[in-house]
Amino acid sequence: MSAQIELSNIDKHYGAFHALKDVSLSIEKGSFVALVGPSGCGKSTLLRSIAGLETITSGTLKIAGQTMNGVPPRKRDVAMVFQSYALYPHMTVEENLTYSLRLHGVGKAEAKVKAAEVAATTGLSALLKRYPRELSGGQRQRVAMGRAIIRNPKAFLFDEPLSNLDAALRVHMRKEIRALHDRLGATSVYVTHDQIEAMTMADHVVVMRDGVIEQQGSPLELYDRPVSKFVAGFIGSPAMNFVPGTIGPDGMTVALEIAQSLSLPLARHQEPGRKVLVGLRPEHLVIGEPEQATLRLPVAVVESTGSMTFVTTSTEPEMTVVETRRTTVRPGDTIGVSIAPNQVHLFDPATEKAI
Amino acid sequence: MTRPYVPWFLLAIALTLAAVYLFPLYWMYVTSLKSGSEIFANPPTFWPVEPDLSIYPSVWFRRTMQTFMWNSVLIASGVTAITVLLGTGCAYVLARYRSGWIDFGLFMILMLQVLPASVMITPLFVGFNQLGLLNYPRTAVVLAAAAKAMPFFVVLVRATFMSVPRELEEAALVDGNSRIGAFFNIVLPLARNGILVCAILTFMSSFGEYIYSKSIIQNGAMQPASVGLSGFLGPNSSDWNSIMAYSAIYVTPILAVFVLLQRRIVSGLTSGALK
Repeated sequence: MSAQIELSNIDKHYGAFHALKDVSLSIEKGSFVALVGPSGCGKSTLLRSIAGLETITSGTLKIAGQTMNGVPPRKRDVAMVFQSYALYPHMTVEENLTYSLRLHGVGKAEAKVKAAEVAATTGLSALLKRYPRELSGGQRQRVAMGRAIIRNPKAFLFDEPLSNLDAALRVHMRKEIRALHDRLGATSVYVTHDQIEAMTMADHVVVMRDGVIEQQGSPLELYDRPVSKFVAGFIGSPAMNFVPGTIGPDGMTVALEIAQSLSLPLARHQEPGRKVLVGLRPEHLVIGEPEQATLRLPVAVVESTGSMTFVTTSTEPEMTVVETRRTTVRPGDTIGVSIAPNQVHLFDPATEKAI
Repeated sequence: MTRPYVPWFLLAIALTLAAVYLFPLYWMYVTSLKSGSEIFANPPTFWPVEPDLSIYPSVWFRRTMQTFMWNSVLIASGVTAITVLLGTGCAYVLARYRSGWIDFGLFMILMLQVLPASVMITPLFVGFNQLGLLNYPRTAVVLAAAAKAMPFFVVLVRATFMSVPRELEEAALVDGNSRIGAFFNIVLPLARNGILVCAILTFMSSFGEYIYSKSIIQNGAMQPASVGLSGFLGPNSSDWNSIMAYSAIYVTPILAVFVLLQRRIVSGLTSGALK
């Protein structure tokens, strides 16, 4: 197995603040890894540590097999795309692209050729003589990308590169970045707080929380088998519903506290009488006839986006149901909802770990 | 359509204050061109009856203004050079690092600004005397005035550096530059306007430096124009048009520079010289 970036037992302290706690992560060559989590979870600190912009307090950091603790950023041969793009305002697009080449002693003529190549792949050919202030947000984003790929580095580091773009452009750039990654066969580490970006772009998603890796795996693994309530709530949109419940006497059903009379069937046997937190994804809840359904829920709000309808119940805690077909449900109705047993997630109410 | 709100009242106050400040300047130019009797005419004339420009060359040669002006330029250049070279580095460090020591350093620098030159001159004079610096009086004045000009420069240039995003430097580091390289390659070019403006302001203010020069430089051939001007003032000085002509020659270059660079100075001070 060839790990391009290998982090073992990394700790990072800012004074009294413990930003990264014993983080170990192996990033394989050619993979696209997304670090996700809420703000302040340490994902950016981790990325900046890989780049060498932060020094790690303890642990080992290897890039392409070489230990990089204490090595300055310029000797790590990684490229980084910043959230603000960090284009040099006093340089033209071409100068921005070739800056790293010039620093590494590449000749002017050769740098120009390279810049033209990169500009062609990123669609910047017509803009080489412009200054960053004369570019739109999307074009700046491309320059930032171009500046990274021109070097053919050991790894690409992305620090929330799409968060300054509008929604439509973000969806477009998402695909473009992923396509570029595949074409270059690069190793990419991508920090985002947007779980959709992480799910759609990455081969491997790392969910972080409070400086700890909460769970890592392929996007669908995280979606199908979240190890904790945190991951379950973070991955998937709209977010998973959490309802307190109690395992029935037979151990094969769970009674929800919002619908006492009804129970959901379970896929696996559980300890009877145990208090649990039941996680139900909105898109797994199927609206049917109230008589045949396993849950009967009063409706509070109905929001339609055209392709989907979000139904919010007036229960406590409230639940969201996603209906992809056209529906006649209105506020005040009672809907019948059912769910497949293997789509019911159970969490321990105290530890919030999956059961 | 509503008309944009115009603060007429504030505008009137501003214009009045500007007039109060600028009237003496006008009076200086006008008086320099008047004859002796016209100066004391009552009511005063607001424009000379017979403007006499020959007073300028005559004062220039009579008062050896060439030497005085040259000394002023020398001292102002020295002060500006020292302030820019040392102050820029200092301001960068104060802008980029945060710690108790940095705060303490900033506090001490602002402290320098608080101490008036007239208070500092006595200890400085004694100290320079013991070091033998009084044998090089212009150098001594440059050192003293540079120390005085430093806080203003450092505080303003620090603000300029703070307006240069840190991410640009980080991008340069990742792109393969060293700390120092990133400073000279990225940060300095972006802060250039702000530094230039502060340097010009430093030059202009030290061009008019008086207290240190008056106290330290005894030899008339080494005194700057500000000290030379005070040579006019005696118990029975009445040569007002010569004094005004001297003053006019002295301030006109500074005024000219300011008017020429006015746009840059204002934008440099307000925008942090970046965009």
